[in-house]
Amino acid sequence: MLKSKKHVFWEALLITIVVFLAGLFLGMLIEAANSAKISSLYLQSEISLTDASATARLAEDISLDCEVIKEQNIIVADRIYEEAKLLELYEDSGKLTDSMKLLHKKYDLLRTFLWMTNDKSLERCDNYNLAVYLYEYGSEDTEIKATQNVWSKILLDIRKQSADFMLLPIAANQNLTSLEFLKQKHEVTQLPALVINNDKVLYELENVDSILDLLN
Amino acid sequence: MTYTFIAFYFLTLHILIYLQNKSQVYAAPKYTKVKDLSIILPCYNDGKNIGKFIENILKTDYPGLKKVIIVDDYSEDDSYEIIKKYARKYPKVEAYRVPEHTGRAAGPKNYGLKYANTELIGFSDDDSFPAPNAISKMVGFLEEEGVGGVTSRVFVKNPKTNFLTKSQSIEYKVMAFTRKLFEFIESIYVTNGPLSIYKKEVLDKTGGFDMKNLTEDIELTWNTVSKGYKVRMCIPAVVRSRVPETVGQWFRQRIRWNVGGIQTVAKYRKKFLQCGMLGLFIMPFFTLSWILGITGLFFLAYRFFNFILMKFLVAKYSVAANVALITTDSFTLNPSILFFFGMLLFSLGLTYTFTSLFYSRGQAKIIGHPIRDIFIYSIFYLIMYPPLLLTAFYKYARGYNEWGTR
Repeated sequence: MLKSKKHVFWEALLITIVVFLAGLFLGMLIEAANSAKISSLYLQSEISLTDASATARLAEDISLDCEVIKEQNIIVADRIYEEAKLLELYEDSGKLTDSMKLLHKKYDLLRTFLWMTNDKSLERCDNYNLAVYLYEYGSEDTEIKATQNVWSKILLDIRKQSADFMLLPIAANQNLTSLEFLKQKHEVTQLPALVINNDKVLYELENVDSILDLLN
Repeated sequence: MTYTFIAFYFLTLHILIYLQNKSQVYAAPKYTKVKDLSIILPCYNDGKNIGKFIENILKTDYPGLKKVIIVDDYSEDDSYEIIKKYARKYPKVEAYRVPEHTGRAAGPKNYGLKYANTELIGFSDDDSFPAPNAISKMVGFLEEEGVGGVTSRVFVKNPKTNFLTKSQSIEYKVMAFTRKLFEFIESIYVTNGPLSIYKKEVLDKTGGFDMKNLTEDIELTWNTVSKGYKVRMCIPAVVRSRVPETVGQWFRQRIRWNVGGIQTVAKYRKKFLQCGMLGLFIMPFFTLSWILGITGLFFLAYRFFNFILMKFLVAKYSVAANVALITTDSFTLNPSILFFFGMLLFSLGLTYTFTSLFYSRGQAKIIGHPIRDIFIYSIFYLIMYPPLLLTAFYKYARGYNEWGTR
């Protein structure tokens, strides 16, 4: 009565492979589109940073107004911060390619560069605060992840409360030579760490008010 | 990804088998010759229901029913006296008692086989009630060359008691539908206890039920298939059976089913990837289901533990740092491609459940169950399977061999 229908096993396998390949292809397309979007934003940030860097150099030679330096630096930092948030969002959904990770590294380098350019500006101008938040990227340690999560909330709170606050979150385990040098220079021995005005280094979580007290 | 791939493959397989055979799902060939049939029924401490069962089975419209053999497994109540009373009342009914309590269904079933000399022999149990036309729908399958046994579709007799029986009602319908689909690839892995019929020659060759196995019906099916016979599933043959109403009873029953399944796989391990569909599909399917279930459980448990630990630490540190416990960022939904695969899998699984229920629906109903019950079944009930499986493996390793609750 019933004819043998064992070919159905191969058909099911074929359909599964096709669906998976289609899914993977679609996933890669989405990730490529996200990556392209971030790359375009990155290019704009890079231009802004270069402009800020050039301004900072000018500040060494001529008596440029500290307010201009502050505004420009904070605008660039805020812009990179917002783009980084978007990058992080895409990065969480990116499971198929490494393009987002590479972009993340590029942004870290950009922020490291911004940190370096602010060295001299901070010496001359004390009308703003710089907080460099060094964290561990891709950590699997739940304790570290929880600590970093709370650090982010604290810094976000401070950023909302203080208009003169320049926040630079940088993944500090990306093997960037310049960043390693800066870590050594500021004697950062563990992650996460918060470097305030290139002076104080905090490792333990503090409440918002305590950190605000440390700012100018 | 591998996990999703395997799960997706099996689900696709089920859907394809259905699509290629949907016109055959309800098919039940009409018998051309009336063959003599005996029905064997084990009974233990069920004096309250055994009379109802006997009365019910005698209502069958199949003219070949010659004997209803009731075998008492040395009950402590008055079951045996009641059976004898019915034997005196109805000539077709015969009452027997095993010499000593065996503690499992295989004992009285094998004992009853000694008195069954008909060409066809059926088995049922004392809390199951076959529809009057169930047997006559089934016997036609046994006229096909090479078919050794045929099984029925079980519906839950007490489906509305609580969420557990509601879920089991859905589960039984999905199981019956799946079993029918497996027939199309010669891979039926169990002829159920509530009503299955075999050719006597098959039972002679297999030696009846395995007394050591906790799921003697699965073992007999594998034994039958390993002897080269085919097994059929008759969707129009409906049997209503009572199911556990408490979590404790349900848990013990499922442990027995799973330990029995493990015992059967262990017994037939040498047939793995050999011996037709038994070794090439049924055994790998069983084994892969177990592996997927257990690895899935560990993966879920690990993710869940990490999630809870993370939430706890974040809450603790947030309180210490005096920042908000929850921010808008906590609610960002950012699905990955794996999430979409998972959702696709879940949707297909749900569609499969709906299709199964569609084939078991009552008159003027689309699926016969509220959507709420289907979601409870699909999410909470099915999630209980992997822990059950793990417990069953543990108990099997410890030599568990108790019959427990039916």
